[in-house]
Formats: sequence, structure tokens, C-alpha cells
Amino acid sequence: MIARTAAIAGIGATEFSKDSGRSELRLAAEAVRAALDDAGLRPSDVDGLVTFTMDDNAEIAVAREIGAGELTFLSRIGYGGGAACAVVQQAVMAVATGVASTVVCYRALNERSGRRFGQATLPPGLDASWHYPMGLATPAAMVAMVARRYMHDYGATTDDFGRVTVAARRYAATNPAAWFYRRPITLDDHRASRWIAEPLRLLDCCQESDGAVALVVTSASRARDLRQPPALISAAAQGSGADQFVMTSYYRDELAALPEMGVVARQLWGQSGFTPGDVRTAVLYDHFTPYVLMQLEELGFCGRGEARHLIGSAECPPINPNGGQLGEAYIHGMNGIAEGVRQVRGSAANQVPGDGPVLVTAGTGVPTSGLILSTA
Amino acid sequence: MTDPISTAAQRIAAAGLSPARIARDPVNRPAIRDWLTAIGDDNPVYERDGVAPPAMVQVWTMRGLRPKPENDPLSEMSAVLDEAGYTSVVATDCGQTYQRYLRVGETVAVRTRLTEVTGPKRTALGEGRFFTTESVWEVGGEPVADMRFRILKFRPEAVPAAGREAPIRPVISPDTAFFWAGVEAGELRIQRCGECGTLRHPPGPACPRCGAFKPEYAVAAGTGRIHSYVVHRHPPLPGRRSPVVVALVDLDEGVRMVGELRDVRPDEVRIGDRVRVAFADGLPAWRPAVGELPAWELAVTPTVIISTALATRDFQDVHHDRDAAVRRGSKDIFLNILTTTGLVQRYVTDRLGPEVVLGGISLRLGGPCYAYDTLTFTGREHAGQVDVTGRTAAGEHVTATVRLAS
Repeated sequence: MIARTAAIAGIGATEFSKDSGRSELRLAAEAVRAALDDAGLRPSDVDGLVTFTMDDNAEIAVAREIGAGELTFLSRIGYGGGAACAVVQQAVMAVATGVASTVVCYRALNERSGRRFGQATLPPGLDASWHYPMGLATPAAMVAMVARRYMHDYGATTDDFGRVTVAARRYAATNPAAWFYRRPITLDDHRASRWIAEPLRLLDCCQESDGAVALVVTSASRARDLRQPPALISAAAQGSGADQFVMTSYYRDELAALPEMGVVARQLWGQSGFTPGDVRTAVLYDHFTPYVLMQLEELGFCGRGEARHLIGSAECPPINPNGGQLGEAYIHGMNGIAEGVRQVRGSAANQVPGDGPVLVTAGTGVPTSGLILSTA
Repeated sequence: MTDPISTAAQRIAAAGLSPARIARDPVNRPAIRDWLTAIGDDNPVYERDGVAPPAMVQVWTMRGLRPKPENDPLSEMSAVLDEAGYTSVVATDCGQTYQRYLRVGETVAVRTRLTEVTGPKRTALGEGRFFTTESVWEVGGEPVADMRFRILKFRPEAVPAAGREAPIRPVISPDTAFFWAGVEAGELRIQRCGECGTLRHPPGPACPRCGAFKPEYAVAAGTGRIHSYVVHRHPPLPGRRSPVVVALVDLDEGVRMVGELRDVRPDEVRIGDRVRVAFADGLPAWRPAVGELPAWELAVTPTVIISTALATRDFQDVHHDRDAAVRRGSKDIFLNILTTTGLVQRYVTDRLGPEVVLGGISLRLGGPCYAYDTLTFTGREHAGQVDVTGRTAAGEHVTATVRLAS
């Protein structure tokens, strides 16, 4: 029902900065307009809009700003960056069922110049009361708890985390859209960066960004007639694990795991018919480095605890060729999906050769999601 | 760019150890008795053996209410910093080593050198410079004790920048109220299904195993092992001082729970270590369950602060004059570091027995201990030393390591 019924026909983004100087609504409207232009579509073609519950720009507000008319599909997904690929899945389901024909997914945020996610402020809801008052009040600290256990269970080191950042910054250095364009780092830079929440250093945490990204989803057959080569959505999945919490799923037997990504992985391989060995490049959500390693394990690229040996080996597909959120920008995972589309089109700054599918994942440690994009 | 403070610091440091300054009075019983009374230390060995409490060493060479002008490194550097606008002072670290206890009748002399000036640095009190001195006490040329002493000279700020926001409080629902009532009552409560008996944390209205809506609770033993932990350093947490160690603990009853791990150095925490629950500030917290010493609570009245300041011959106005303290940016008079050192010594000798001999005390001050605070000392003995923490409601006042003489 999902596999290859729809495609991403257009991508758009603002510049990525630390201070956009514009409202989030304006960023959203700019990115949506750019995505429609990229697809060769008009605002009046849009009949569906989807975003994150964390996005402060209502679907109807964005529709007004771009001059769209009537909408038949308005939807939102929760759980922060875990929503990234799930908003595309919403669009696919709307297109596949005929509820809408042209759905734009968007995310706009002034995360650096406006509300910063890394500060310690209590979110609404009861679950946070078991963690925030005790001093576990930032995403970095919440991930650090899992990372410490991962190191204990599998012998990973902070250098293994650092190698993830070094690789991301190497790619960002040759991506002109990346904030860290022409600014690669070494492992020694990582070792010298200050502790944020041990065992995580500053350079284990992704950057904070202002910016917006939008994606146009329509049926696969219509996408073939539009301006750009379509990025077929071969699989789109969402998942949460048993006993799931937001960033603090500490009460499962196995702490050093991301079973929600396992739920997503099984669906991705099942829907698409691909296997990890087919993947040309993977854009893995990298808000914090340890979760890049753990995702590789959950996605089936290697066994539990083995990702530190896989990274940098010949068997490992190139990861985050745009520089990821560590190197390009933190647009809550949506810039990673746009990179996936460019890789499929063959227009990426750091183009990975081949014609295999591209895997994209969303925020981890929360209910998450994933996509497989391909040319056919 | 030359910084006049650095230039002065280099000059003073290059001068090396100052000439010996002789104590105003020999080690004497009246001063010892006043000190013991003010600190509240009943240890009989000092009177019996005619020796001074080791933590008194600095007291003998304090210069009194109206000191003669002298150009020892501490005064010289202080004058330079006063001139530059860093007019307030607070001690931050003190490491003392005792070669032996002083005997009644001995006259000590002290020699001091400046080792380091760092900063300017933003602190919770205002912009400041840290400077470190080393002192050696001698009796007839024989070294009897030495000390590394670090103080912060700062420009007082009207509203201190960090650490004054309200701490994050839990949100309480009908499903979780039993837990927080337990914390108030000093009990660690775990939800237990009234139907099938399954234990569960965090709690909720239903039992995920049997489906019953019949939540009850069990009282946990309060002991467990560290499953994982975090040392939070940045950004600042509202109302708290970093670093904060937070541990995820496998309780012996089989559920996991998150809490702050107190009274440990971040580098000594290990997964698998035993911990015991402690309740503080309306929250469950953990404390290492090895070599724990019983806690000691001291009601810090103005009398305690002033009598100990005088018994340690410390006449800085912030330790006896409330108006002066407020004018300098404090909310009230507060304990001086010599007293804090004495209280740490008393706690350890009270707990380990009067005959224990101390080889040294290293302490680091956190937030001030003001008049009307309750100061709670906890400690842990391991490997020939005792780790001591003194807390007020606002957080850590002092962390100290007391080395026992072998």
C-alpha cells in the first residue's frame, strides 16, 4: 500500500544560520514556496499540509502565506525530531488513499536565536517529573545516561563517538549549504571539547540552527511528469517500542538499545524489499553521536555493540554525506530527508555514486520514523 | 596587551616565600578551649595531651582585628585586586597537611608565597580573579603543617547571575501523589498492583501486566546498584550548581529509578556500585552505600557564626556584621572557611572516635552557609580517608577529603 505509491517531487529550504532575522512563519513560507518551485507546482496545487506538533506554524497559517486555497488534509506528528520521516509517511498515506493529491511537509524553526531545546526547562506532562527535578533536564544528559551504559556493555569509548563527528564535519566541509562548510575537525578537537554531560562532549552534540525545510509529496505517477526526477518513497514507517518514554526509556531490561528504531527498520525492509546491503548511503539522525552507532545496529547493518567496528570500514555505507545535523544544520531531521532526495536525484554536494536506495531516519530516543528513497 | 594584574602577580610570585611571620601568641589552652567551645567539639584528647586541634593551625597566625600593614604576598596581591575593583573576597579551596599536631607552649611562624592568579572569570558572585597561595608553618625551623589556599576576589553584583532560579519541581497527579507523599514521609514507595502484585516505576493508573486499575504501593528498602549515570555540567540547571551526578539505579526490589547521586566525586562513580536512598529538597536522591558515616545536622545560628569567627581570630566583617555582609552582596553573615574546616574536623573525629589522628584536610567551598541555615554533614570512609559533604538547603556548602594519619 505504501511502497512506491508516492514520491518526493520537490524540496526547498532557507539558508541555515544561527540567527535568521525572520519569523518562523516566514521561514516556513519561504521553504514551502521553494519546494513548490522545485517541483514545478503552484501554491494552488497544494491540498495537504503536514508538520511536527513542535512546529509553531499552523497549517492554515502557512496555507495563507503561500496563497494555497482549500485543504483536505491537515496533520501533525509528535515527539520532536522523531516526527521527521513520519510527516512524509502521513503525506504518503493521504496520497495513497486519495485524501489529498499534493501534500507539503514542512518544519521551520529559529532554534538557535529563539527557543533553544538544550536548555533545562520542564516540558508539560507527568513523565518529565521522574527525571527533570533530579537533574536530568537536557537532551544531552538524557542521551548520556544511555551512552554510559552502551560504553559499559560493549566497550565503546568516547573516541568512538568522536569519530562520528569527525566524519560528519569532513562531509560538511565540502557542502556549501552546511554551517560548518570548510571547517573540518580532528579527533583531537573532539577530545579537547568541553564536557556537556559526561560521557558526552560538546562535539558529540549537534549544532543549533535557524532555518526551514519543505518537501512536496505526490503520487509516483504524477511525480514522473513533474520538473525533477522523482525520489520514490519505497518505504515509510513510524515506530515506538514497548515501555516507550521521550528520551528517557530507562525502564526496559536493555538500556543500551533503541528498539523503536528496530520497529521502524523491520517495516522499512519489509515494505521496500531492500536489505541493508543494498543501501547506497544512509542519512541517520545525529542529534547525539552515540545514537548514530546504535541506529546502525538497530537497522541491521551490524550486530549489537559492533557499530564502532563498522564505522569507517569498507562494509559501512557512507553516512550523512551532507554533514548531518552535526555539520550541516539542525532542522529536526528534515534537512536529512532533503539530502536523501538529492542523493537519489544525483545532485548532492557530496554525491555518493551508484543507484542503490537511500535510507533516512528521524530522531532517536523517542517514537521515531524512517524512509527509504529510490529511483525505482 | 599586558594586564597590570598579571604583571603584579608575576612580580609577587617571583619574590618567592615571604620571611617568617611569627604568631602573636604561643599555642595556648584558652584559645584552644574557646575554639573547641565555639565549634562544639567535645573531643577530650586535646586537653588531655596538651595539643591543639589540627584544623586550628591557621588560627595561630591570623592577624587580628587591626593588623599591622605588612607586605606579605597575600596582602600585596589583595591590594592590587582591590585597586582593580575586585573588592569582595571569598575563600574557595583549602588543602592542609599536618606533619604533626602543635603542642601547647610552642610558637609557630608562617611563610607564604603566591603561586597563581587566574581570570578574570565569570562566577555566580560576579566577575573575579582566583588566586592561590601556599603557606608553611614552622616551629623553630621544623615544618609542622602546610596549606594551599585559593580565594576568589570579585566585583560584587547586585543580582548574582546564576543559580538563583527556582529548581524544577515535579508535576504531581492523582496517580503519582503516593510517591511524593512517601518522599515527604521519608519512604521510597514503589507502585504495586493490588491485583497481581507487579511492581512498577514510574507509576501510572493501570497495571500494564494484568490490566487492573488497583494501584497500591510497597515501601522499598531504599538500596540498589547504579545501572548507569551522567555527570551534568552544561548548561546550568535552574537553582543548582554543576556538576550534578544523576544515577539510574536498579533497586533491590527490581525496578529502576532516577535520582541525583550525592556526596561523590564524579570520577569515582562506577556502574554497579551500591547506593542507598537519601531524601533531600522533596526529592529522592542516592548516596554511596559504602562506609557511610551517620549524618550530623548543625543549626547555624548567628551565635555559631560569630563565636566561631572570633575563636578562629577572623575579623572579616562579613562573618559578624550583618549590615556589612548585606552591603557586600550577601544575604546574611556566613561561616568563615576556618570554621568550616574545624566543623569538618569535628564531624570526622566525632564519628571515628577521639583517638583518630588527621593527616590533612582538603576542602572546596560551594555556596555560603548563612545564619539560620541548617548545615548537614554526611561522610564516607574509604581507603584511609573520609569524604565529607556539608549541605544547606541551597546545595553544597563544602566538599572535603580528610586524610587519616597512618
